[in-house]
Amino acid sequence: MDLYAPIKDVVTNFKLITDFKSISDFSLKENSFFPIKEHFFAKNETILTFDKKNLSDKPPKNKAKAFFGLRKCDLNAIKKQDLVFLSKDKDGYYEARRKNTYLMGCHCKKVCNQYCFCGSMNLEDFYDLMYYDKGNKFLIEAGSEKGLKLIKKYKKYFKKTNEKIKQEDKIIKNASRLERKDLNRFYEDSRWNNLVDLCLSCAACTNLCPTCYCFEFHDKVKISNLSQGSRTRGWSSCQLKSFSKVAGEFVFRNKREERFKHRIYHQLQYFKEKYGTDLCVGCGRCILACPTRIDFVKLINEMK
Amino acid sequence: MMKIYTPKKTKIKSIRRDSHDTVILTLNYSLKHEPGQFVQVSLPGIGEAPISISSYGEKYLELSIREVGNVTRTLGKLKKGNFVWVRGPYGNGYPMKMLEGNNILIIGGGCGVAPLKGIIEYLEKNRKKYRDIILFLGYRSPEEILYKKELAKWKSKHIVNLTVDKASGDSCYTGNVGFVTQIVENYSMDNQNKIVFICGPPIMMKGSIDILKRKGFNEDQIFISAERLMYCGIGKCCHCMIHGKFTCQDGPVFRYDAISGFKND
Repeated sequence: MDLYAPIKDVVTNFKLITDFKSISDFSLKENSFFPIKEHFFAKNETILTFDKKNLSDKPPKNKAKAFFGLRKCDLNAIKKQDLVFLSKDKDGYYEARRKNTYLMGCHCKKVCNQYCFCGSMNLEDFYDLMYYDKGNKFLIEAGSEKGLKLIKKYKKYFKKTNEKIKQEDKIIKNASRLERKDLNRFYEDSRWNNLVDLCLSCAACTNLCPTCYCFEFHDKVKISNLSQGSRTRGWSSCQLKSFSKVAGEFVFRNKREERFKHRIYHQLQYFKEKYGTDLCVGCGRCILACPTRIDFVKLINEMK
Repeated sequence: MMKIYTPKKTKIKSIRRDSHDTVILTLNYSLKHEPGQFVQVSLPGIGEAPISISSYGEKYLELSIREVGNVTRTLGKLKKGNFVWVRGPYGNGYPMKMLEGNNILIIGGGCGVAPLKGIIEYLEKNRKKYRDIILFLGYRSPEEILYKKELAKWKSKHIVNLTVDKASGDSCYTGNVGFVTQIVENYSMDNQNKIVFICGPPIMMKGSIDILKRKGFNEDQIFISAERLMYCGIGKCCHCMIHGKFTCQDGPVFRYDAISGFKND
């Protein structure tokens, strides 16, 4: 099993731990710059290979992976992507990557940065194990059968305790920045345009989002043998014009405002209509990573 | 489990060219489907494209291909006996059963006539369950009229209003000239017991709907077939989303009142 944990280099990111020395090597004070979604919803996934006569669709080879130090937002993001790829019409490629994983969370005592708003997003407990930092020790809670099994298997690293994880331990302070409201009422609000004028359509927001799951297919052929090749599934971004372009070069969401608004509505409205829960988990990465720092939370809060 | 994006190899039974940029492919592919549904057609190495089914029946599958992109342009070059890869059918078709007992108006523009042809074939198989069938078909020029072979048959059975946007002097075409919206406008009718199916370029669909509304039609009497970019066909890739509705699953056929409030999307 491979272990991944947050390591600070220039930014904090989940890295494969090959030489574990101490937990203090892990960067647990801030959230990772990139979410871990690429481990399950791969940036580039070969879904078909073909030659002149045949097509084959073998699943990806998958090694068991354990992640340590995941935040509540990112854990919930995995749950949302599970809804898309593991419910109706199961996506075998996602499933093959997802099934052998262990999710170990690390609870945030306070917000990771000024843009977090996970407290507004009705996040749930979703993890195999959750670690609560108590200074000189971690209190650990199992959230699944898989988590319990892990504890049993590695008994020597855990100690039984009578200490309880209290409700107040689960609170993340000052994280309810987004005022929830019925966004359908504000679709035509002119204030969308004021802020969105700053949007550069760079797609950093969708690439860093732990939940964004839009994708596209691309066929590639071998230069040495043009009848051999593969079809890959890659991430795509609704912030780019090509996202809604049909034959004859017609683009349905031609304006930046329309594309920006589409992302927000998909996250906070459309997904709920289909799956009964928000897509957004309030990690704030799309604001933190935006080159012009468009804070849609502030924008929505101003709409009354 | 892997199979959701995996197409099936299918032989081309026949291929016929109907205009300079449109071919009609008939595939040896038995597929239970509803009129208005579509399939994803693949050419490995080139790509995949959603194509509406323009036939109705389980013995073969007919697809009308307008050569506008990489996949469709290559499809246009194929020959009888070549292979294509197909998966589907996908989407919600026209709710034909629910609409029995009505007069059926069909308004089609260009290759938008393709899915409507599936309805016409369905109606012919279930002729007694419906009243009059009135077709309004528009093409850019006489040379671009599709389904000429079928058109003669349709004219003998239904009320057919055919028009072309422009006809050059040297063509032997003697029919209507003008937009299809114009012949809908000029056609005297009320909205009693009528259901309308529209498919065509966005501007033509919009124009037709405006005219029908002026004639007293309600939005719930009108069904349109939407076109969007899509990859998966099963509500995952999100490219075809219209205000949270998936063209591939909730559509491509929408009753107009379900999406009429949506702007710019």
